[in-house]
Amino acid sequence: MGTINSALSLMNGALDADQSALSVVANNVANANTTGYTEETPNWQENQPIEVNGISIGSGVSETGATSQRDKVLEQRLDQQQQLASASGVRLTALNNIQALFTPDSGSSSSTAGDIGSDITSFFDSFSSLEADPTDNSLRQNVLSTASTLAGDISSAAASLNSQRTALDQEATGVASQVNSLTRAIAQLDLQIQSASADADAGTLEDQRQQDLSQLSQLIGINQVTTENNGLSITTTSGQLLVSEGSNQQLTTGTVNGVTDFFLGGTDVTSQLATGGGQLGGYLTARDQDIPKALSSLDQLAYSISTAVNKQNNTGTDLNSVTGSVANPLYIFNDPGQVAGSAAAMTVTMTDPNQIAAAGAGDGAGDNSNAVDLFNLGSGTIVNGQSPINSYSNFVSTLGSTVSEVQSENTAQNASVTQLQTQNNAFSSVNLNDEAAAMSKLETSYQAASQVFTMLNTIMASALNLGMQTTVS
Amino acid sequence: MRVDPSYVSNLVNSLDQSQANEQQLSSELSSGVSIASLSQNPVGAGENVLLLNQIQQDDSFTQSSNLVTGQLQVADSALGSVVSELTQAISLATSANNGTLSSSDVKSVGNQIAGILNEVQSLANSSYQGQYIFAGGRTSAAPFSTSTGSSPAVTSYKGDEGVNYLEMPNGQKIQLNVPGSQIFLGSGANSVFGALNALVADYASGTVNSGQAVSDTESLSTALNYVSQQRVTIDNSMTQLSAASGAVASQQTQLTAAQTSLMQADIPTVSTQLSLAETQQTALEDVIAQLDSVSNSLFSKMPN
Repeated sequence: MGTINSALSLMNGALDADQSALSVVANNVANANTTGYTEETPNWQENQPIEVNGISIGSGVSETGATSQRDKVLEQRLDQQQQLASASGVRLTALNNIQALFTPDSGSSSSTAGDIGSDITSFFDSFSSLEADPTDNSLRQNVLSTASTLAGDISSAAASLNSQRTALDQEATGVASQVNSLTRAIAQLDLQIQSASADADAGTLEDQRQQDLSQLSQLIGINQVTTENNGLSITTTSGQLLVSEGSNQQLTTGTVNGVTDFFLGGTDVTSQLATGGGQLGGYLTARDQDIPKALSSLDQLAYSISTAVNKQNNTGTDLNSVTGSVANPLYIFNDPGQVAGSAAAMTVTMTDPNQIAAAGAGDGAGDNSNAVDLFNLGSGTIVNGQSPINSYSNFVSTLGSTVSEVQSENTAQNASVTQLQTQNNAFSSVNLNDEAAAMSKLETSYQAASQVFTMLNTIMASALNLGMQTTVS
Repeated sequence: MRVDPSYVSNLVNSLDQSQANEQQLSSELSSGVSIASLSQNPVGAGENVLLLNQIQQDDSFTQSSNLVTGQLQVADSALGSVVSELTQAISLATSANNGTLSSSDVKSVGNQIAGILNEVQSLANSSYQGQYIFAGGRTSAAPFSTSTGSSPAVTSYKGDEGVNYLEMPNGQKIQLNVPGSQIFLGSGANSVFGALNALVADYASGTVNSGQAVSDTESLSTALNYVSQQRVTIDNSMTQLSAASGAVASQQTQLTAAQTSLMQADIPTVSTQLSLAETQQTALEDVIAQLDSVSNSLFSKMPN
């Protein structure tokens, strides 16, 4: 049978429970703007009822701490999507830098500098002008100056691409060291979580680990596997271990073929990381795929123009009545030798405009047949079966399409990140209105409990005084 | 249902996007260019490269055709003068051949024809901007010279048979010159200088071998006709060139129009888009402001 005393102590417990619940709510409100904080809800637990003479009597409530509002599946999906979005975001920035080198020429003026397309046209057109008067010095000079502009623009575009590549290389190396410090932190948190809370949510520690995981997801593509005792093992998207059993595997770097490669436990994982996601994936894709692709197009263009024009000029006779030969070649451009690196190295080596061989082999200076042939190279299929201008046109279209593709991809991924973030926020972040409601509810129940306590107190006094008005109140 | 308490920051993201959109549209308006980067219209950017290439080629052809027109005109007028010189030589020879002239008159006709020969030779050595136009490809030296060592004298040619062409953007070729040997030293009776030199020799002594002189005069007539035929080639080139220039100019106009419509921003469309973006932004700002006043409500309305 319950007593007034037991009712009093039951109410005492309720007041205690309300107070700790209030402090959980207060903690939520205090951390409303803390990044990574997960809303906590008080755990109410009904106390074991007491059996007296076969009658079960309730013994009140206890507040046994707080539970974080966490949806691990949602968090993992958010992390994964974040990895994709960071990769495409970084790649998009790199691609935008690349395409900035090939801004479309808007005007129809042939003097617009910096557009390789116009340069190609001006260069081959200079031979068309030379057809009209093959001995004219200013027309010959014009061939060399348009050639210089073309070579200069191609080589400076190639130089910019190379320096963008170096910059991406450095960025990627920087990411690797951030990855290492995050995996170290996660490994340590893992140990703490395993020892502190092996079979339940670890609250604040878990918040920290999750925040490190979302930061890690910005940097690199990962898979998460929950292990026993609330531990976590992390691998790269392609399956190499990063964190396991409370220790982390360092991502190390080393120079291979002039660029930085990344190693995990002695294995070169650069190409796997490139497709894995995260900023590192984006940097590596741009470094090892996008820039080399643009460079190789430029190399092919530079190589084909240089060799075809040199070869053709060498078959003709120049204004000094010299016909080109193997021993004494009449080359306008430097001889590139091989395709790779042609663009960066492209330059005009001819200094004397009289060496332009406008005349056919052995013909007089007034002949223009070789100038016609040189001009025809401009429409000839000298670049991998395409004319130089068609090849450049294809190059800009392809580059533009790639940028636009990555742009849409990135927009879609960001939208999906936002959506998941919204879902996750709805579930996990502190909603002040909810807190206000909880506060108000707890206030009411606290008031009720204290009211009951007061009434019990009065009842107790009545009981002690046996219904008489005396000193006990 | 639970909601994301930080929806205001999501709305701010939308606001950022809408502002970026406005920025892009304003820059299109101010620069007048619709394709500022390749990714905005990859196919258009590639097309633009090809259009500009065509336009520049047309431009360059127009300049070249202006250059060669001068040369063709000089060649044509030189051949015109040659024709009238030769006509005069034929009438002089005809008068000498009818047997009524005195010996000294015949000599004087011989001298006059020798003068005409010099004149024709200097016309055949015509130059344009320092280049001898009837020398084939060897344009740096005067192609014709006459050596008087033998009788009749011999006029020789130092040029070659080179023919230059100007290529039009469509690949069609226009002939720019006729080698001097073909015009003035044709085979047999077609040789202008052969006939002139023979006549000079015929009349040098004052006595006319009428059979020889008449046949040489006929040769000169034949040669004159031949020169006129060669002149037609030059005239044809001039006609072709002027027709081509016209065609190229109108093609250039069309291409420029196409290129402009490809690259230029469509002002009314862009303005409409800009105005839509502005409306969207205003709406978003209003929503944010309202939500802001709502989101504080519960706590702010609770009793202290």
